[in-house]
Amino acid sequence: MTIHLKIDYRKFPAEPSEAFPRRRSASRPVVPVSLINKNKIVRHYSLIDSGADLCIFHGGLGEEIDLKVKSGKKLTFFGIGGTGGTQLTAYFHDIEMEIGGWKFPCYAGFSYDLDIPYGVLGQVGFFNLFRVQFDYGKQRIELWSKDQN
Amino acid sequence: MAEKTDLRELLKPYSDKWVALSEDSSKVVGVGDTPKKALEQASSRSEKNPILTRVPEHYGTYIL
Repeated sequence: MTIHLKIDYRKFPAEPSEAFPRRRSASRPVVPVSLINKNKIVRHYSLIDSGADLCIFHGGLGEEIDLKVKSGKKLTFFGIGGTGGTQLTAYFHDIEMEIGGWKFPCYAGFSYDLDIPYGVLGQVGFFNLFRVQFDYGKQRIELWSKDQN
Repeated sequence: MAEKTDLRELLKPYSDKWVALSEDSSKVVGVGDTPKKALEQASSRSEKNPILTRVPEHYGTYIL
């Protein structure tokens, strides 16, 4: 059975700059996601980011679902957080995620180096499970679960 | 339950903090320097399904 979810973009504060002097807000494809480990759940706003290879969340959220974060499989990566070129570390764990009532397993990274306000939903762990349609004009994201058979 | 999607005014006062929002994102139910502290505050207010987000010191532009 295909799950079909419609989720609205979220608007966040933004600061004007020389290039964009009237900018006061930023609309982003950010969705509430539940991170689940056994009977522990934490909900967190997460960015749907097709440029990210993997799913990564802040280490403090891992602690909230009773993960021993640094006991996970270690990965060093580049990109989000910190300054350009900085190498960051994440620790991967098998958890479950839930979006819009649909629960699925996810091998997710947890990092204390993330310097963005959101979790990140990337290619492996999210895009491999969902077909995603962004409609900035309508401020709407649509997700269809892919057949896992 | 209709969720509030415009979070600009709600989050503005909480620079460099973790914030727990109510299940429908209509109000702030916890604030702290860590997810744990924000969730503890939400729990003390009997909030059942808070949503965590971190408010950065400056909301910049993201090119990820």
